[in-house]
Amino acid sequence: MMENYSSNATTAKIRAKYAQLFTLDEYREMAAMRTVAEAAGFIARSARFREAFSEVDPNTIHRGYLEELLYKENFETYISLCKFQGLDKEPFFGFLIRRSEIECILSIINRINSSLDRNFLSDLPGYLIKSLTIPVMELSLSQSYDELVAGLKGTRYGRVLRKVPAREDGNADYTECELRLRTDYYAELLAQAEKAFSGSVAEELKTIILREIDCRNIINAYRMKAYFGYSPDEIKRRSLKFYGIGKRNMERLYEAADAEIMMDMVNNTIYGKNSPDTDNIEVEINSVKIRRLRHYLTGSTRAPVALYAFIMLCDIEVSNLVHIIEGIRYGVEAAAIEAQLITL
Amino acid sequence: MAIEKMALVNIIGRFEDLDETLIRCCDSGCFHIEPAFKNEANSTVRLLNEKNPFGVPLKEFASLATEMDIELKETPGTRFKGWTADQFNELSVNIDSELEEKGREKQRLATEVSELEGAVLQVDHLRGMNSDFSKIFACKHTACRIGRMPADNLAKLQYYDQTFFFVPFETTKDFCWGMYFCAEGDKELVDSIFRSLFFERIHIPDYVSGNTDEALKKLDEQIKEKKAKIEGLEKEISQLAEKHDKTIQEAYTALKKRYDVFELRRKVGAVKEKFYIKGFVPQKQSDGFSDSFKDMGEVEVVLLPPDADAYCTPPTVLKNGWFTRPYRMLVEMYGLPKYNGFNPTAFVAITYTLLFGIMFGDLGQGFLLFILGLIINKKVNKEAGGIVSRCGLSSMVFGTLYGSVFGFEELLDPVYESFGIDFLPIKAFEQSSFILLTAVGIGIFLIVLSMLLNIYIGFREKNYEKAVFGCNGIAGLIFYGSMVTYIVSKFILKIELTSGAVIALLLGIPGICIFCRVPFAMAAKYKKWKLSEEEEDMTIGGFIVENFFEMFEFLLSYVSNTMSFLRVGGFVLSHAGMMLVVMTLLNMSATAAKPFTLVIGNLFVMAMEGMIVAIQIIRLEFYEIFSRFYESDGKEFEPISVSFDTEVNI
Repeated sequence: MMENYSSNATTAKIRAKYAQLFTLDEYREMAAMRTVAEAAGFIARSARFREAFSEVDPNTIHRGYLEELLYKENFETYISLCKFQGLDKEPFFGFLIRRSEIECILSIINRINSSLDRNFLSDLPGYLIKSLTIPVMELSLSQSYDELVAGLKGTRYGRVLRKVPAREDGNADYTECELRLRTDYYAELLAQAEKAFSGSVAEELKTIILREIDCRNIINAYRMKAYFGYSPDEIKRRSLKFYGIGKRNMERLYEAADAEIMMDMVNNTIYGKNSPDTDNIEVEINSVKIRRLRHYLTGSTRAPVALYAFIMLCDIEVSNLVHIIEGIRYGVEAAAIEAQLITL
Repeated sequence: MAIEKMALVNIIGRFEDLDETLIRCCDSGCFHIEPAFKNEANSTVRLLNEKNPFGVPLKEFASLATEMDIELKETPGTRFKGWTADQFNELSVNIDSELEEKGREKQRLATEVSELEGAVLQVDHLRGMNSDFSKIFACKHTACRIGRMPADNLAKLQYYDQTFFFVPFETTKDFCWGMYFCAEGDKELVDSIFRSLFFERIHIPDYVSGNTDEALKKLDEQIKEKKAKIEGLEKEISQLAEKHDKTIQEAYTALKKRYDVFELRRKVGAVKEKFYIKGFVPQKQSDGFSDSFKDMGEVEVVLLPPDADAYCTPPTVLKNGWFTRPYRMLVEMYGLPKYNGFNPTAFVAITYTLLFGIMFGDLGQGFLLFILGLIINKKVNKEAGGIVSRCGLSSMVFGTLYGSVFGFEELLDPVYESFGIDFLPIKAFEQSSFILLTAVGIGIFLIVLSMLLNIYIGFREKNYEKAVFGCNGIAGLIFYGSMVTYIVSKFILKIELTSGAVIALLLGIPGICIFCRVPFAMAAKYKKWKLSEEEEDMTIGGFIVENFFEMFEFLLSYVSNTMSFLRVGGFVLSHAGMMLVVMTLLNMSATAAKPFTLVIGNLFVMAMEGMIVAIQIIRLEFYEIFSRFYESDGKEFEPISVSFDTEVNI
């Protein structure tokens, strides 16, 4: 069990790495740069990504590869932290691998559905190949949804996707597949947190995971309301059925008359209090999320809690860096880039 | 030693004069601004919530300075007086256009150099061919590309069914260097596949031909040439920086001031067509402040008593004399008293200085501390230096009483003998009981003094619970005084002052008062009997339990706070003890090493004990003394100002 003191070294290592995350000032400095090469050079010089960028020439790096390297560094950090004290033997700690597998499967389904290019290989991050537990390269050759499900036979994902029947055109409902895969992922994660850990560790982990789901649900519900005009019932059907703030409270948000009223209601929940003044739902919700994650990371002495929170913070950091790189690429003003960053 | 009197200032004027008014408020150096719209019920005042237009140009000028490697320094000038944000924007765009062209050219050349360096590496991989490798690229039916791709992506190649083959040369940690071949007709498709796998193609320039050695030579020449061009461009950029240096410095300084002044608008209210600023100035400066707006006919400055606005709490400025001024630092560290409150700086100054002298008494070391204090005062921090020099003087006085000079405890004995003073110097080890009892005596004296101060403050504030019934009020004073008198007379002086019954009465009545301080104070103030001020439904049982534990805590604090002062005596002994060690080492040292031992020993004791004593006294002041009478709920006086700063946090 990871609740004993033997995992304290991992917690200390995580905190040391946490200190290397980009600061607001560094984001600002980057956002003021003119070219992607300058930004790449800045990232390559940082303590956090120096090693990952050691062989990269900022002047010639492909923008797509630059982003992939950022994600790769996160993944490698996660793997090394899990291996540091043998945490990877606990099933719970495979969460990032499972999440990556789901992303790959969804990407393949999307490719099959789009019928434009059935070759998923180019989008598959190369660094994942050796760590995934599914034969993702072979799966990428699937020409239809049924072929994909057949390829996943014997895996957890195969069992989940079997319940989503292929439509007449041979494709599957992407949203349904995503909902089922994510539901299964979170259900397994919560069960593992409950089973592998006890007391405050399990409670803290469950709280973080449920809040992560809440944030995802709120952002999705807002988009469905604001951009697609979905009814509350439709939103309910398309949302994950796990609740951090309680089922009734979440459904009340879904039932709001419009997106603006929903946001007013969100502002009265824990996800809206002291949030930044912005009209970007993702920035608002994730800014509150980042503050809570920092609180968990600095406050908890438990490796599972610290690791889970740290990996989520790393994800947010990379998404900020990608925003900046995209902004510079398209000549967006520094102030406008900054407004899209999740930094609270 | 009191608290500076304040005046509430209301400034009203037309919006055209707002910036100038704010600048004058900043320049006065004595105006503490308050939000004009704190009173939300007052609907006539609306919030000025405009976007600061100077933020963008300020940031632009900061970026220009970074790009041109210009170190920003405050450079006042009149050139940009009255400039609008648009004018600043235009200026930055003009300078930027000159710079951008050169920057882009530099970046292009840097990319080319990187590519050529990549080509050098690739040509190096082909060294073994010993023939003109340019022939490979000249094939008619076969396309060939050389470059590198992420090693992670190599595994993907076998899953593509297109006709190509990849020849790896060398694999490093992240990349695999190599070349791929495909049919000329498939090259577009294959190229797109490799591009999607982040294959970085390295173009071998046309002029590079012959065998590898010749090719490498040509590439090297090209790299040198392009690097020279980059150097030339860098020179041009630095010349450009020289040309615009003064403009950028002045513009940034002016912009920073305008930006900061505009930021102050967030606290300004708007009433119809007029602005409304509210704040405080020290009363003695209020007339001067008011006069500074006389030439602005449309701006009206109204001076009011500090308590005229119920929504504004006046800030606190401690008024101190020359001796007590440096100790303000310690009081501020704990927290400022409220306006109209009690300024404890003088009390802290006297007690801190005396306690330091007692605990760190040494004539020689005190003198060095005094000198060190003067140096700190001049070079580092005025207040810290002031405290150190005062403590040094006190240390010298008590060092003389102890007869201690750099640890030599007998050096002053002949002086006292010649004056016929036989009770001095005080020998730490021979009179240790006396020293410890005196330390406790000092503690009792300071605690009683703190209680008297609390009673005085309580009556001034008409807070009867604090002044009369509290554990630090009259009841507490009688209780503590009786307890101390009884213990001293019975166990130290061995005399019976009064009967046990009287003592019981002197302890009992104040004890009951302390126990029932809340209902008694409420009865005295509101003529109403209530068990708790906050809780309406406090039961008698709850009241007894709560006050029983509080009473227990009070009793414990009387004992622990008094005994805490034992450390004062303890440090007298510890100082003497440490110097005894130094003297023993001195005696053990060789003659040549003696001065060294003496100096190092003294410096070590000074540094270590000096710091510990300083911290211990702060502890005594804050916990044992301040907790009895001082409430730090004041607001700091922060006159508005514009400060030059190279960090742009917008």
